[in-house]
Amino acid sequence: MEMVCIVCPNGCRLQVSDDNGKITVDGAKCKRGVAFAETELTCPTRSVTSSVKTTVAGYPVVSVRTDGEIPKQKIFDLIGVLSKFTLDKKVPIGTILISNVLNTGVNVITTTDME
Amino acid sequence: MERYDIIIIGGGPAGLAAAIKAGKDSKVLLIEREQRLGGILKQCIHDGFGVVRFGEKLSGPEYADRFIKELSETNVQTALFSFVTDIKHTDMFYITYVCEQGVKQVTCDKLILATGCRERTRNGIFIHGDRCAGVYTAGAAQNLVNMLGVMPGRKVVILGSGDIGLIMARRLTLEGAEVVGVYEAKPTPSGLTRNIHQCLHDFNIPLYLSTTVTRVFGSNRLEKAEISQVDEKMRPISGTERLIDCDTLVLAVGLIPENELAGDLSVVLDAKTKGAAVDQNCQTLCDGIYACGNALHVNDLADYVSESGETAGEHASKPPHKRKLVNIAAKGKFLYVVPQMLDVNDDVSNVIMYFRASEDLSNQRLTVTANGREVFSKRYLKLLPPEMERIVVDFSQAGDLSNITVALEDK
Amino acid sequence: MNLTKKINAVYKKFGVKITAAEDDRSVILNGECDDWQNIVKIGKMFADKKSGKHIVNDIRLKGYEEKPPFLPAVNDKSLDGTAWDVVVIGGGISGCSVARELSKYKLKILLVEKHSDVARGASGANDGMVHAGIDLKHKCKKLYYVTRGNAMYADVCRDLGVEFERKGQYVVFSSRFIKFCGRSYLMRAKKHNIPNVSVISKKEICKAEPTVKDYAVGALKIASTGAVSPYKLTIAYAENAVQNGAAVSLNTAVLSMEHTDCEILKIFTNRGVISAECIINCAGVFADKVAQMAGDRYFSIHPRKGVDLLMDSKGKGLPDNAISLSPTFKTIKQNKNTKGGGIVKTVDGNILLGPNAREIPDREDVTTESRDVNEVFNKQLDCCPSMQRSNIIAYFAGVRAPTYEEDFIIERSAKVKNLIHVAGIQSPGLTAAPAFSVDVAEMAAELLKSRGKNVELNADFNPKRVAPVDIKSLTENELNELIKSNPDYGKMICRCEQVSLGEIKQAINNPLGVATIDGVKRRVRAGMGRCQGGFCMPNILKTIADELNADISQVQKADYGSNVVVGEIKRI
Repeated sequence: MEMVCIVCPNGCRLQVSDDNGKITVDGAKCKRGVAFAETELTCPTRSVTSSVKTTVAGYPVVSVRTDGEIPKQKIFDLIGVLSKFTLDKKVPIGTILISNVLNTGVNVITTTDME
Repeated sequence: MERYDIIIIGGGPAGLAAAIKAGKDSKVLLIEREQRLGGILKQCIHDGFGVVRFGEKLSGPEYADRFIKELSETNVQTALFSFVTDIKHTDMFYITYVCEQGVKQVTCDKLILATGCRERTRNGIFIHGDRCAGVYTAGAAQNLVNMLGVMPGRKVVILGSGDIGLIMARRLTLEGAEVVGVYEAKPTPSGLTRNIHQCLHDFNIPLYLSTTVTRVFGSNRLEKAEISQVDEKMRPISGTERLIDCDTLVLAVGLIPENELAGDLSVVLDAKTKGAAVDQNCQTLCDGIYACGNALHVNDLADYVSESGETAGEHASKPPHKRKLVNIAAKGKFLYVVPQMLDVNDDVSNVIMYFRASEDLSNQRLTVTANGREVFSKRYLKLLPPEMERIVVDFSQAGDLSNITVALEDK
Repeated sequence: MNLTKKINAVYKKFGVKITAAEDDRSVILNGECDDWQNIVKIGKMFADKKSGKHIVNDIRLKGYEEKPPFLPAVNDKSLDGTAWDVVVIGGGISGCSVARELSKYKLKILLVEKHSDVARGASGANDGMVHAGIDLKHKCKKLYYVTRGNAMYADVCRDLGVEFERKGQYVVFSSRFIKFCGRSYLMRAKKHNIPNVSVISKKEICKAEPTVKDYAVGALKIASTGAVSPYKLTIAYAENAVQNGAAVSLNTAVLSMEHTDCEILKIFTNRGVISAECIINCAGVFADKVAQMAGDRYFSIHPRKGVDLLMDSKGKGLPDNAISLSPTFKTIKQNKNTKGGGIVKTVDGNILLGPNAREIPDREDVTTESRDVNEVFNKQLDCCPSMQRSNIIAYFAGVRAPTYEEDFIIERSAKVKNLIHVAGIQSPGLTAAPAFSVDVAEMAAELLKSRGKNVELNADFNPKRVAPVDIKSLTENELNELIKSNPDYGKMICRCEQVSLGEIKQAINNPLGVATIDGVKRRVRAGMGRCQGGFCMPNILKTIADELNADISQVQKADYGSNVVVGEIKRI
């Protein structure tokens, strides 16, 4: 099957074949593309960027992201968690707001410097 | 009147990079019109920034933050919430700007324009119909969602498959809006392939090619958009119109380098890039005026924006010399090639060139020749207009540099 | 020609059977036709200046159902039971100027406007030219008021704190023959008492306006032509009226009236029932509808749409003056009812092209079409060949409100004794308003006196409106002082038009209480430039919400229901 690697802006077009669990990948410029194709077939994951509300003046919302990738089917669950979260103080960029979110082993960190 | 060696206008990715480089050896002032540095990156909270430069997938604000931190360790002065109202160029540059403290005047020897770009609007693409609320450029919609934390609407049509349109399709979907489709007048998508996949395919958002929005309806708020198919010249085909219920239309129909100040200074612009024509050091035809980032040409990655900022900043801090400019001719299916000129009196060993193909091409050979002699060549399996290409060319061994050509041919 | 002859002529020309009846004031047409353009043409055929009779054109367009008029989404009792000396219906240039002139008297004045701001109709969507009246026919009300109004402009605008420039206008001749014919304008100017009209040479016009150098053989120079922002003037009139004690009720539509044969008793609005000693009909495209509500319909308004294009002021190849091509016999024949448009330089330094003229059945259809944009651009390209299409940054349509006689109706109703009509005010109504508003106010005072009302002058009347700060007009020292006293004036929000936060806050807190995105845009130009608000709109939205202490999702673009956003994220 054909697949487009989303790891970097190169967007390599991958030819992926799955022969009874033996996955072969063609067209990847780097080995991250191979890894991407393998996970995409078994358990696709994505990093997620979003925002959370704050009560800090001048910041109606502050941007956040996952510091790793979470299973694709958990994206909307994560958004649900974030919508219930309110930040009540200024924090430096990269602060972990939620650790091990949804038991994924991944943290939600802030991506805007509020200073 | 405070005098600087270099003044940089614009504190986005290009201006920040330029300031960091220029600040090493020169007295530099960075003027930014908003309250915070970072430019449009502040609202680009999606990731994918810095893959080229840092090998990491950062969000826009994080990418900007790296530069802002680095800048704070230099002696560069910054003027925030400061708006340049006038520049006069005589023996020096005389710059007037307005800020909370009043009207300020400063002078400098060299000027770097890092003013970014703006979006085409509904009027620019001649969408007719009612003047209702609910029609926003993608950048404005992104600001509403990511900076103000408010939703522009619930049922969204996106016109334009440029990256920002695709990013907003995903962003609005994640926040609970229904994105009924992304419509693109061109026969091919305008955004990066990976964004088509991770922003649209992941969320089952349909993409319609050769289709555009021709009219909007709504007495107060947008109620319906009329969609039409277009022919190969992008003219709507009559009879193909259909109405789509929506309360929001997001326009991601292209970016235009912002060159008001360049225009005021009579800097020569390139009709193709809509930015200044520059040499390999990002210096325009006016000695001492540099242009970089999206003000120079619309880049696809912030990494390249920073790179051209660095080029400008680094060169501006060198002592001036008498330039000898040679035109770089572009032959073949190019949308554009930057730089447009080569200063052969300066270092030509490490010339970074950016180009875009004017249409989808496969099996191409790019050659750079100096007086007929090949100095660089590269093969491309595929070239797409949305994906900017970057090459580094060494002209130092080429000998005669009086006639330079970049050509794109079928392999 | 008698009516039967005309009816037959209509049948011969259009194949349509109509009826025509006559009373002491009007000729009333009835029938059905499947082409709106023909309906308008038929109306025109019956118009007869000499008879002094107006046309009521009730010929229906086959298959067309009249759209219900726009009504505000507000229903309350805020005006219920109130009694006024004067109620002015309509917040265009006519209504606002009349209200302001009326406020010179000690009267209880109410102006009602159904939109969320004044100048939302044709008064807000025209090119702002202050005409000299050179192309008008002799012996019409238009000419009388236009020449008088033009002469008043500098004083009125100074009092109201509105920018006005008398830069003149050039009608360019493209051939020697046209130049020769153009001399007839001089005679006309003399006859009409229009000052400072001259024919200038090729050399002179090319020096004044180099963009026409390729074809101009000379030009007519009309020095008294001016430029004003039509909506700013309308807003200023309304604000000055309010400052002098008049009330302006926005989002207020007149729905119907209770009347006898000769008097209006009650006015029903969406905000309650009101009464007035004197009612002034300044309802623009709805003036005949308002007349009908009062049982006094003796004229028809036929909506005429015009589209103007706004060019980027920094674009190349644009002219620097108001110019138009002198009409040839061919163009005169094609465009009988329009001056044919032209190129206008606005007081803000922008170039406007237009307008065209399209007869339409829908009175509120301000949509634009590509054919309009093309028509206007291509037409003016003949006048200024160096313009580039890519420099069009915006376009808008306005619907003018002509009668079939194509003249103003400014008179007390012959039938309803407490009603004054200010109708048929189409181009150049903007030019005429300063003059006719004075007459209408006097007319109203006489009307009130005749009804036994004691009408006194308003001793506190102040003709001067304090104009809002425009930082671009300040010297550096003045701006420095202003920023020192209020740093908001040093915070630039709209980068294209250079508008500061201080000016935006001032615009939000205007005397009419209009706190909308479009209201701010029209008052201080924020969002009018090349990015069309792409950068500043979110900031302005936030500022409006903060100033009103309201939820951001309550902020409107214009009328109720035009919310800019629908709520917070992560909530829907």
